[in-house]
This record gives sequence, C-alpha cells and structure tokens, in this order.
Amino acid sequence: MNELALKDLLYKLADDQLILGHRNSEWTGFGPILEEDIAFSSMAQDKLGHSLAFYTLLHELGEAEPDTVAFTRNAEQFHNSQLVELPNGEYDFSLIRHFLYDNAEIIRFEMLSQSGYEPIAKVATKLKGEVKYHVLHANTWIKNLGASTEEAILRLQASLNEALPYALGMFEKSKYEQELIEAGVYAGEEAVKAEWLNRIQTVLAKTELKLPALESIEPVLGGRYGVHTEHLQPLLSEMSEVFDIDPTAEW
Amino acid sequence: MYGGGNVFEATKFDDLQAEDPVKLAEFEARIARGEKIEPNDWMPQLYRKQLIRMIEQHAHSEIIGALPEGTWITRAPGFRRKMAQMAKVQDEVGHAQLLYSAAETLGKSREQMLTDLINGKSKYSNVFNYPALTWADSNVISWLIDAGAIVNQMANARGSYGPYCRALDRICAEEAFHLKYGHDAVVHLATGTPKQREMVQAALNRWWPPIMTFFGPSDKMSTHTETLMRWKVKMASNDECRQQFLDMYVPKIWELGLTVPDPNLKKNAETGQWEFTEPDWDEFKRVINGDGPCNAERLAVRRTAEERGTWVRHALLNPKAKYVKPLA
Amino acid sequence: MLKSLDPRVTRLNLPDGEVPNMEPKQELDQFETYEAFHQKKDGAAFTYVGPVHAPNEDVAFLFAKEQYSRRFACVGLWIARTENIMVTPYVGDTESVYDMIAIEEPAERSAEPEKYEIFHLKKRGKAHTHVGRVSATSYQEALQEAKQQFGEKPPVVNVWVVKSKHILQSAEEDKDMWFTIPEKKYREATAYKVMDKITKYKAENNNATV
Repeated sequence: MNELALKDLLYKLADDQLILGHRNSEWTGFGPILEEDIAFSSMAQDKLGHSLAFYTLLHELGEAEPDTVAFTRNAEQFHNSQLVELPNGEYDFSLIRHFLYDNAEIIRFEMLSQSGYEPIAKVATKLKGEVKYHVLHANTWIKNLGASTEEAILRLQASLNEALPYALGMFEKSKYEQELIEAGVYAGEEAVKAEWLNRIQTVLAKTELKLPALESIEPVLGGRYGVHTEHLQPLLSEMSEVFDIDPTAEW
Repeated sequence: MYGGGNVFEATKFDDLQAEDPVKLAEFEARIARGEKIEPNDWMPQLYRKQLIRMIEQHAHSEIIGALPEGTWITRAPGFRRKMAQMAKVQDEVGHAQLLYSAAETLGKSREQMLTDLINGKSKYSNVFNYPALTWADSNVISWLIDAGAIVNQMANARGSYGPYCRALDRICAEEAFHLKYGHDAVVHLATGTPKQREMVQAALNRWWPPIMTFFGPSDKMSTHTETLMRWKVKMASNDECRQQFLDMYVPKIWELGLTVPDPNLKKNAETGQWEFTEPDWDEFKRVINGDGPCNAERLAVRRTAEERGTWVRHALLNPKAKYVKPLA
Repeated sequence: MLKSLDPRVTRLNLPDGEVPNMEPKQELDQFETYEAFHQKKDGAAFTYVGPVHAPNEDVAFLFAKEQYSRRFACVGLWIARTENIMVTPYVGDTESVYDMIAIEEPAERSAEPEKYEIFHLKKRGKAHTHVGRVSATSYQEALQEAKQQFGEKPPVVNVWVVKSKHILQSAEEDKDMWFTIPEKKYREATAYKVMDKITKYKAENNNATV
C-alpha cells in the first residue's frame, strides 16, 4: 500500500483530534453547569488520546515521536479541517461544532474499524466506544436545546449556519482518495459525508433547527492541504510555549 | 484539594441547652459508637451549621482551586502532561460537584452556595488567591497543595457525617493521582536542565509562604472546639495537620536539592516538632478578606461561567420539576 | 478588559474592575437531582455512587457517566430521579430496619403488579447496593415483599425502593463506552514512578541534604 496515502490519512485524523481536543479543553472550569464541565473535559482528554494513538501509528511508519509531531510543526504543516481550529465562541458554537464533528468522526471510526489496514482497524475498534459517547452527548444536547426556548434555538441556529461551511470542509478529499478507497482502507470522504448528512438530519428533525440548503453553501476547503485561518498558529504557539523554553528538556 | 484554614467560630447555635436532651444523648452515643450520621437523622443545629459551612467552603475551594492550574492547561508540555493536567483540573471540578451534593443533603441548595461564593459571602481556601506564574508553579501546586489537602481530607474522612465521608473516600482516591502527578512533574524539573531547576526553585519560593498558611492559624481551644471534636466534625487541629505535612514533605523537597525559603525551618530533635518562621497572618487575613493578587479574577471567572451558562440552564428548566435534596 | 495569566481567561473578555453583586440564583437554576448507581463488573450488584443535577434522565445519564465512571472499571450505569426513590427510616449499624418499622397500608395500589428494585445499606457511611427485584402493587407491598425475600440477615440500616420503570438503565450494547477506562493510565497514581530519577539525582549530588 502507498505509505504516503496512509500517512496523509493518519495526519488528518490525528490533527483534527489534537486541535479540537485543545479547543474543548479550554472549557475545563468554565462550563454552564458543573456536571457538563466534567463531561466536556473527559471528551477533550479522549480526543487528545485519540490523536496520540494515530501519531503513534505514524511514528511506526517512520515519522517523528508523537510529541515532536504534535508540538513542533507550524500551521501550514497541519492537516486538520478549519472547523476544529475556530475559537470556542460561546457554548452554542462549541456544542454545534461538537455535534457536526463527532457525527462525522464516529462514521470514520466505524469504517476504519473494518479497514483493510490492520493497525488502523485495531485502533479504531478500540476507541470507537469513546466516540460513541461523544456522539450520544452531542445528540442528546442538540435534541434537548434545539427544541427548547427561543433564545436557545436562535443561538444554535446561528452557530449552525456559521459552522456548516467549515464542517463541509471536513470532507475535503485528499490527493490519495482513490488509492485509499481501492486499497480498502476506508470508503472515502463522499461516503462519510453522505452518511453524516443522513445522521445529522435525523437528529435535527427532532428539533426546531433547520439545516441550511447545502447546495447554497460554499465549503471552506484547504485545511487538509495546510491552508488555515489566522486562529491556528496562535493556538499552536500557545500549545508549545512551555515546551519551547527548552525543547531538549524532559518535561 | 482544600486547605483547612476553616475557622470554627462560635455561633449562636452554640447553645446546646436549646436542644432536646434525649435526642442529643442518642446522637452523641451514636457517634461515640463509631456510627456515621446520615442525612435524615436528628442532629443538633450546631452540627448542621458547622458541617454546611465546612463542606461548602471545601466545595468552593475545589471549584476555585481548578483555576490556578487551569492557567496551564493549554500550555502543558507534551501529551502526557497535557492529558494529566486536564484530568487533574477536571477532578477538582468533580470534587466540587461531590461536595456541593454532600452539603445539599444538610439543607443548603447548590444555587444558594454558588450565589454566596460569587457574591463573596462564603470563603474558599486562601492559597488559590495567588497566581500560578509559570508551569513550575502549577506543578508545585499539584504536588504540595494537594499533599496538604490530602492530610486534611484523610483526617476529615474519619469524621461522623456519612455523605461527607462518602465524598471524601472518592476524593482521596483521586487525590493520590494528583499528588503523584505533581511530584513526578516537580522531580522532572528538579533533576532536569539548569533552567528547569531554576524555574521550580522560584516557584517553590513563591508558594512556600501560602503553603505554610494553608492549614490556618493555630486553633484556639474552647468548649466549642471540644464539642466539634467530640462530634467528629473537627478531626485534627490545624497545627497537627501542618506538622504532619512538614514531616512528610520537607524531606522529599530536600532530597531533590531544593531549598525551602525559610532559614528557621528545622525539626527539633527533642520535641519532634518542626520549628519555622511564623507565617504572616496579617497578610493571610487581608487576602482572605478579598485583597489578594487574584481574588477578583477568580470570582469574575466563576461568575462569568455561571452567567454565560444561564441560557443553557434556563432552556432546559422543567416547569414541573420539584427540588428534592439528594438522598445521600 | 481583564488580561490574565491564563490565556483562556483573557479570551473570555471579562470587564476589568468592580462589578455589582450577582442576583441570587433562582430555585432549580441547577436543576433537580438524579441518583446514580454503577456496576463494576458483570454480575456484580449495582452500587450507589452519588447524585447529579440534570434537567432530565437522558442528560443525567450523560453527566453521571463522566462524574462517576470515568475511573475504575465499569460495565453499567443506572439513573433514578431522586423524587422517585422511596426511603425507609435509618436504624443502627447492628439492626435491621425491617424489624424496626411497621409497614403502612398503601394509600394507592396499581391495578397490575409492577416491578420494584430494592437497595440495602449495610453500614452507615457506606453505599446502598442493589439486592434484587420484587413484584408488587405499591411501594409498601414492595417493601413487605423485600422483607420476605432479602430481609433475613441483619444488618439492614436503610432500604431504597424504586419502580423499575423509573430507572434508566444502560444497555448491553453500551458497554463499549467503558472499555478503555482501564487504559487511561495518565489519570492514575500508579502511572507516575520517579524513584529512579531521584536515586540517580542523589547519587550524582551526594551533598544533597536530607
């Protein structure tokens, strides 16, 4: 199998989770209710754990150590979708992003657990249950808040409209797309997106929220190829601030 | 985590004459037998008030205590530290949840406790009004403040109130991770590069004075304190806790070649007691009453979290819901 | 705007300076409470772990899962609204509440028998554990039934009775949500071992005082 194709896939999986894990970790201590604070933090930890698992696979394929890969690259070397790097905003935006992201993530994990590339299949199978909770968490909140007060519905709708072009960017195809599909690694972005749409519509149908017509939306692309918003580099610099005091030291 | 420093002032409920003598005798006999008190049991007013005050302050200390170390969540170096730092701060929030619940079983609602915290009506451990200037400060807090908290909480876990003991059992198990994690991080710095050693020594210098006030001033022994000790509300004196802490951790600091910034600190071989420079209790009082480097920010953050979460909570209010205090 | 040492706080754009007191929180601002029970391993009894505040049982499940089962093995979780749990009086650590109370006549009965879950507290300060299920037409009858089936061996300090339909139970296929808990070593004390580093440091710096 083409190793470059595999690495490309692993980088996008790992980078998405690393960056979203960081964004979500910012909520620790600031959540809308104590119990939710705890739940959000657990999911942020899981996301970091998932990215570590995928960076470890990359390391096995000859890339540098996970800490080096995660904490020393610049923005243009990151393959995450722009959705995950956007600032947290208020809770409505963080929740909508979590909903849009994790409903796609679970599909990737389900597909990858069936992957013809065994190391990925093993990791995906093992971690799938954690993503399942993330999806349950997101969907339960969206169903509850999306059918509640006018303020909640307005906030979530505005965040949904804002996040959607970026969310569509999650499905930006890699240049190795066809190879990965043919090699049986996973079914490809088109397939993930179709199933994702199906699942988020099922949840949104139980709420007052409306999914904007997708054909009228221009997806925000580029993330998979190192093109990012102005928000990513400051985040990366913050992440490596202590590490950079002495990169050779053991922290 | 939590410091003592909880001051057991006399209250108007001190007057046990007003309590039913038969019930009071049964209550005291139960505690003397080593049985725990559960929420629906009869209890003297003084017992209830003091426990609410103590558990509530403990809960506030956890939720505010999440903030100094939270300062370094997004900057923790490397996966291992980052995930642990998040888990550690998350635990503090979790401890607050457990403790607020335990206090609720005594009849004070979580709403009231949060309002009192944000409006400055109830206190929390004073050490959290100091800043975590560097990553090393965060590590020193994780290790030594949590070490202090464990001394305190292990004592309290032997107390008489069932729900508080249940919460503390869970909390102590989690604190063991905090302590080891903090020690691990400090050891890495102390045995690391010269720059790292310098960072950790500077952090220790900054945190030592607050740590010495962590257990509060020496207790004034009174009949009031004796009553609370007999009822297993107060389990150890502030001085006992401080001595135990010094006994356990000063050698561990010294073995790393770090200097404790108190030239008078030494163990008196004859008395077996640690001697040290008396902490600045005037500063302690000033800071606890609001005039510390971070008091305003800590409360502002807590308040903002509550206010910005209001729409979420209001959206899900169930008009038919009735508040029932948690069972245990 | 408040500039903090914590970049997360700086990003909150808080006003700098004095603020008026917050309006007291309304009743139920933090929601009602639900009680959570966890199962450590297959076949083990469900044990009380504590309450959560939540707007409904689905959200209570989400909350309890992370508050009470993010550490240590877990294979199942039950959630019951506090209001739906019937509680007997508490007795002493050597007594049985079944012997100490007269079970009242029920004010109302269901037309058909329903299932009730029974929880016992064996010692004050410990946690209630599930002892079994009975079929009855009222809480009182359920308690009577529980006395027959589970009440022989003292001590039973306290009993909780809950209708089975009032308990939200995690499903068999949800177990995978807990599979990886034992692997999350970074949040366990045992993952941190630094004796080697300390010993090495001491050997290299034998002037270190102790």
